[in-house]
Amino acid sequence: MTQQVPGPEMTTGQKFYVREVLQGLWITLKHTVRNVLNADENFTIIDYPDVKKVMPERYKGAHRLTTRPDGKVKCVACMMCAQICPAKCITIEAGEDPDDPVEKYPVQFQIDMLRCIYCGFCVEACPKDAIRMDTGIYEINGFTRQDLIHDKAYMKDLKAGKKPLAEDWYREHPEDAPPGYDVKAPKLREGY
Amino acid sequence: MPTVKVNGIEVEVAPGTNMIEAARQAGVDIPHYCYHPHLPVAGNCRMCLVDVEAGGRGPDIACNMQARDGLAIRTDTDNVKRMRRSVMEFLLVNHPLDCPICDQAGECRLQDYYMEHGQHHSRLADEKITRTKRQDIGDLIILDADRCIACSRCVRFSDEVTKTGELRLFNRTDHTEIGVFPGTRLSHHYQGCLADICPVGALTNKDFRFQKRSWYLRAEPSVCDRCATGCNIDVDHDHGEVFRYRPRRNDAVNKSWMCDFGRLSYKRLAAEDRILTARGPEGAEGVDAVLAGLAAAVDAAARDHGDGSVGLVLGTRATNEANWAMLRALRAAVPGARVFLVEGNDPDAFDYTDDLLVHADKNPNTAGVRLIAEADGAVGDAEALRAALADGGLRLLLVLADDVLARLGEVRRPEALAFFGTWANATSEAARWVLPLAAAQEVEGSFTNFQGRVQRLQPAIPAAGDSRPGQVLAAGLARALGEDALPAGAAGVFHDLAANVPAFFGLSLAGLGAEGALVHREPPTEQVAPPDTRPAP
Amino acid sequence: MDWIQIGIVAAKIGFAVAFVMSIVPILIWGERKWSAYIQDRPGPNRAQIAGIRAGGLVHVLTDVVKLFMKEDVQPTAAMKAYWWVAPLIPMIVGLMTFTVVPWSSDFAIPAHSFGDWPAADLTIPMQVARINAGMLFILAFSSLSVYGIMLAGWGSNNKFSMLGGLRASAQMISYELAMGLSVVVMFLVYGTVRLDEIAQQQAGSIFNWGIFAPTGFIVGLIAFLIYWTSVLAETNRLPFDLPEGEAEIVAGYHTEYSSMRFALFFMAEYAHMIVGSTLTVTLFFGSYNIPFLRPETLQANIDGVLIALGCLGIPVNLFFAWLAWKRRRRVFYLSIRPDDPRQKEPKFWVAVWTMAALASAGLAVLGISRWVGMHLLAAETAVLLLHIGMLLVKVMFFCYVFVWIRWTLPRFRYDQLMNLGWRMMVPVAIANVLLAGIWVIIRETFLA
Repeated sequence: MTQQVPGPEMTTGQKFYVREVLQGLWITLKHTVRNVLNADENFTIIDYPDVKKVMPERYKGAHRLTTRPDGKVKCVACMMCAQICPAKCITIEAGEDPDDPVEKYPVQFQIDMLRCIYCGFCVEACPKDAIRMDTGIYEINGFTRQDLIHDKAYMKDLKAGKKPLAEDWYREHPEDAPPGYDVKAPKLREGY
Repeated sequence: MPTVKVNGIEVEVAPGTNMIEAARQAGVDIPHYCYHPHLPVAGNCRMCLVDVEAGGRGPDIACNMQARDGLAIRTDTDNVKRMRRSVMEFLLVNHPLDCPICDQAGECRLQDYYMEHGQHHSRLADEKITRTKRQDIGDLIILDADRCIACSRCVRFSDEVTKTGELRLFNRTDHTEIGVFPGTRLSHHYQGCLADICPVGALTNKDFRFQKRSWYLRAEPSVCDRCATGCNIDVDHDHGEVFRYRPRRNDAVNKSWMCDFGRLSYKRLAAEDRILTARGPEGAEGVDAVLAGLAAAVDAAARDHGDGSVGLVLGTRATNEANWAMLRALRAAVPGARVFLVEGNDPDAFDYTDDLLVHADKNPNTAGVRLIAEADGAVGDAEALRAALADGGLRLLLVLADDVLARLGEVRRPEALAFFGTWANATSEAARWVLPLAAAQEVEGSFTNFQGRVQRLQPAIPAAGDSRPGQVLAAGLARALGEDALPAGAAGVFHDLAANVPAFFGLSLAGLGAEGALVHREPPTEQVAPPDTRPAP
Repeated sequence: MDWIQIGIVAAKIGFAVAFVMSIVPILIWGERKWSAYIQDRPGPNRAQIAGIRAGGLVHVLTDVVKLFMKEDVQPTAAMKAYWWVAPLIPMIVGLMTFTVVPWSSDFAIPAHSFGDWPAADLTIPMQVARINAGMLFILAFSSLSVYGIMLAGWGSNNKFSMLGGLRASAQMISYELAMGLSVVVMFLVYGTVRLDEIAQQQAGSIFNWGIFAPTGFIVGLIAFLIYWTSVLAETNRLPFDLPEGEAEIVAGYHTEYSSMRFALFFMAEYAHMIVGSTLTVTLFFGSYNIPFLRPETLQANIDGVLIALGCLGIPVNLFFAWLAWKRRRRVFYLSIRPDDPRQKEPKFWVAVWTMAALASAGLAVLGISRWVGMHLLAAETAVLLLHIGMLLVKVMFFCYVFVWIRWTLPRFRYDQLMNLGWRMMVPVAIANVLLAGIWVIIRETFLA
């Protein structure tokens, strides 16, 4: 049984719709005429691929792994980000670095950007300030699912405008590509 | 029996009980670092300070306070809270902020009690005193002296339990540092226990190091199957992938300890030589198909050459249930089948024995199988099997779990061999039918250790591959042989076992309890009906 | 009937089909562009041919390519025959109804214009079929288009399609009644059901247009409002597009259609819009007639009209050329690379508008040449073209009103739709017919 929610009572004139319809048409006509005569000033859009928006400083874009002065990533594979991640998109494989006083480092650090919901919890959870989302990169795209798995080598020292898309990066730096990634003909990752 | 009061709750405890244990019985948790129930009391961490209400002068440390009549302590006063907070501050003064890389994080007492009682900001203005990190002091242990809070648990362990005494506290005051004597290393085979008892991350397990953060692991109770002692263990796994074994407290068997051989045996669960699929004469097949082929062969041998041409070797490495179900299945279908028990250690058993925990017999269930064999009354020993094989009368031999061919040495091989086992060995190589038996950590059942203590096994992780518990394989074989009336569930098989084997009279699988139950040394002459704990069909 | 006449009819059929089918892509473009302007957006502006984006017209081409290349997915559980035939029906019906619409006054070819042909004065009616049923033929045929939607809904074997089909059929039946009654008013006023006769009677003053119900004012206005609302419902356009209400029933009757089959439905909708607009113009807005210029007057003064048109066209086109030249300084052209092909767009548009201005000048010259002496047939042709152009302008205006209404009004709820149809429009339409009857009696009796 549906419940009738009482709306505003319509007058007899309104019940014929004619005046109300004409009012609405008048508004849209004003917009049309204004835009035909003088298009650019009224549009709030950006001609996207030709003109790119510079994101505000605190925009949460693609992740990057910050580095220490010696060039190694700050990450110590403590799994705090993987633990807090509500989308479970972070995969870290920890390893021991015998030459490093910090002992532990991520052998593999992958973020599945297809699963990521850009909540920024990983950034907040990180005790080492090792992961940040301050690159301002919002064009996170690729032709295969594999393209969208950002790994340690790609995210390391990633800064806005400094690096190309992951897909192009992997083509130029095959050694950085995630394991099993065919640079020439990227295939869908198993299990998808 | 002294009666004490903890936070106003009266408890009666055994004489000699200290107040931490007494408080635990009263349901009150007293934080502590240096106290360990199976180590002598040192009383140097001061974390267990409590207010003494009556029967003494306080504040005092609960671990060194023996229960006596009239003693009353309080742990909920502001004074106690302040003391704990202050002790935490002292302990953390020089503790490095290693939590992100420390394996102990997540199961660290320092973290837990800081969140519970500390919560202070550091008032330390000076540099922290640092000590040597990452020292390789043993085959299984990495020492990080920087993280040590000098509780001396490990020193007491090496002095009192293993009696090797390698570890010492060196230097004084803030510079106190745990370590081994120069040029020496840990030499005993209980090193893993050091990582277990260390309340912080100073001693960590090399094998487990950086493998998994502890909060991803789920602990399931089980029993170690590497020797006849049957140490109780926790199987720590993440979605079925086992990362470590830890000893589970059982004062009657292993206290809080286990040997490194058993500790590292978790790797055998995912080892390459694990038998994961059934194999028949035609190669890999389904379990049911192989069982059907085996049953046909058993039928043919019994028909053509008499019941005596079929034999079964009971397995000292298989559960009581697997042995009993197998015996019953074969006896039901081929009443005259010959049954043997071959004792001895397999080639894959580790070569170490001591009088602490590691038993000379490396099979987890020798005692249980002996009892079953006794009850059956017609079970031959290794010599009988050798003789039966030599005269060629035994044409088809079913082997359960043990590497019988290796144990027998040079013998004439039977015409056909069926092997029900978990890991590949000489017997499985020679066998015509190989059936995958699930490992002890994957099945429901029981082991009887060398003391005669029946300890319950529960599936901690799902069985790997096609492998199945022994009683299920036995029931499948029985069905293929045309015997449908035998129970297949572990509880049902144990019920049957308890009804038929005098030493097990009166026991039930669910009634074994956390510590296990001893079998009857002198079997009761009259049968005691076991309680039926099987689930309703 | 000789071969020449068959050829003439075939040419007229060809023209009718081309008229509808060539406006369809322009309407698709218009729908996007006008809706964008209503919503303060630039609309489609990415697809380009050698840097010329033509304001988004190129997108229509890419759409055609896409729709031809797409996989034609056929649901396995569909009823194949119905499912297959359904998209054809609305398209065929849309084109069929256009056959009785006149698009100009009769085209007369005097005897012996081309040697000994024609033998006598030849008058060619400018509509495909001049049949006495006229408007009734259109009413009959346009009702058939609902069969396409119903068959699609039933044949898809999909609950959403089915619901869409049901909604469509109920809606058609409800609004056809009101539409028929409002057309009856025009029959009464003009005393005929033939559209060519109605068109002829609307020549001259705009007060001869149907909307003024030759001076019965309110009667014609009410008839027009009811007719226009019904046309919106008949074409399944917003605010009456419940048969394809995305929010409730996915895409309604064409949920299961893809590729060119979907395109047929899509094009049929626009074809119906064009036919609906044409009929509205024919019945209520003077058909092909140029206001205040009767065909005879027009033909007599064709030279003056051409000169006026040409002289008017030159400054207008030059203004647009100037506008295009000014637009080369847009932010867009400054932000793309200097070697981007789109940089030559402003020059292209300047060239186009300049050429249009030149064409206007040519028109004026043509008018002047008439003074020098122009063949009668040329005048006839000029009138024909002007009439068709006038019709096109009027039709495009009403097509724009279609789009305009779509992007202004929200969709009706189904009960509101039915209430409006049965409780509001049918009674008003009946009363309007009575009013029209009374007015006609008064006119015949007292004013004749």
